Amino acid sequence: MPAIALQNFSYAYNHPKKVLDNITISIEKGSFSVILGPSGAGKTTLCLAVAGAVPHYFGGSSAGKVYVAGIHTQESSMQQLALTVGTVLQDYETQLVTMTVEEEVAFSLENMGIVPEEITQRVEEVLAKVGLTGYEKQAVTDLSGGQKQRLVLASVLATNPKILVLDEPTSALDPEGTYSLYKLLSDLNQEHGITILVVEHDIATVLPYADQFILLENGQLILNGTPESVLSFMAKKQIFAEAIPPLWQLKLMIEELATRQFASWHTEEEAIIQLGKALDEEARKNA
Amino acid sequence: MQKIAPITKLALTIFVTIWSIVLQSLPALTALIVCQLILLVIAKVGSSIYKGIASLFVFAAILAGMQYAINNDIMLAAITASKMIAMTLVFFILLATTRMQDLSAALVLQCHIPYEYAFMLTAALRFIPDFLAESKAIQEAQACRGYSPQGNVLQRFFSYMAVIKPLVLKAVTKSETMALSLELRGFGSRKTRSFKNNVTLALQDYAMLLSMILFTSYLVIQIY
Repeated sequence: MPAIALQNFSYAYNHPKKVLDNITISIEKGSFSVILGPSGAGKTTLCLAVAGAVPHYFGGSSAGKVYVAGIHTQESSMQQLALTVGTVLQDYETQLVTMTVEEEVAFSLENMGIVPEEITQRVEEVLAKVGLTGYEKQAVTDLSGGQKQRLVLASVLATNPKILVLDEPTSALDPEGTYSLYKLLSDLNQEHGITILVVEHDIATVLPYADQFILLENGQLILNGTPESVLSFMAKKQIFAEAIPPLWQLKLMIEELATRQFASWHTEEEAIIQLGKALDEEARKNA
Repeated sequence: MQKIAPITKLALTIFVTIWSIVLQSLPALTALIVCQLILLVIAKVGSSIYKGIASLFVFAAILAGMQYAINNDIMLAAITASKMIAMTLVFFILLATTRMQDLSAALVLQCHIPYEYAFMLTAALRFIPDFLAESKAIQEAQACRGYSPQGNVLQRFFSYMAVIKPLVLKAVTKSETMALSLELRGFGSRKTRSFKNNVTLALQDYAMLLSMILFTSYLVIQIY
């Protein structure tokens, strides 16, 4: 059973303008999937559909089905789905509703009616998981952007969700904060088996961790597959090609012009090693 | 004061308000003010609270001046100002020594107020710094586009609309996002909600409540 499955799912906030059009996707348990696409492609709506906010919160018209951990989202409530799906919205600061770090994490657990002793234990555990131990009494307003993002993550992780959905989580973070957030998400994915679904424009930052790319355009699913296949497709068909990382643009160009095939590049280091080898081979040939 | 249960401090707020209304002599009201100031010193509240109290005294002095100008009765002016200080000081005690989460827990568990209403209290306080920061950012952005509040009070007020309009729109957007995020975090999903912090009454709370009831009864008997 996949962690997330959309079957011919279509949605319109205001009928008849479809924001998502006949989407069929399957996301396996424990995968790290990234939704790509230009603005207005339907990325946020897809995240909200997985969280159950579409159509429960926004209303609108929908067709098809969305299953999350086997639960049909339209037959379940948002609150029930919140036990399975943890969602981090794009405006993460507004998700922080209490005065201190400790209270913020406890808030989700209090909503679930968990006993105080267990809340204390879980708050401790989850803050350690996101690297915020020692910040328990700190005021939320005194945290940096990266720390706030981690706190939001901690508050959704406290309920032990099987799936994490994040809508452009690094849009307000500096490169250091972005790196450390994705490292943390990767650890949660690898060590705890949490399925990650993330919307991200900066493909280079997610390449080391992602195992599935979902490309959307104008509400339609263009391609769903491995990062390599989706990036090659984007370059070939010139769809959202401006988002392809510069090193991948170079790789695809060399492959096309020199008919040389490189292995997949997930990091700059991998690219440097392979390019170095290729240059050495060329130098040897020329010598 | 931090060890006193929030509900006791809420009761103190109500009782002090009653005492401020009932007491009519300047020495009694002064004694009430002094007692409250002592409580604040014992509670070791931050310097920002004292700055707020200083502003309160200035405001009360202005009020007394206005009252004196209208009625030409210095005693009445002093009593009115003292009543206002006594009534307001107790709110400083309540807010400076009580965590908002504890206060909302007390309102829900002991006053049986629905959590949604108690939550509004904490959420409003949580977002005050955010809105101040937002207001500053909008003022800076508008200043870059030529916004400069000049002229008389009326002109300044109308020019300030350039800040107020985007601020209100942003506040509405934020409240929408907040409502969505609360739903996504299971807010209001269960009839019984738990609270991490213990807000039950201890021996000192019962003693304080009893003292307040006895003192109020004494005052009422003295008057009638």
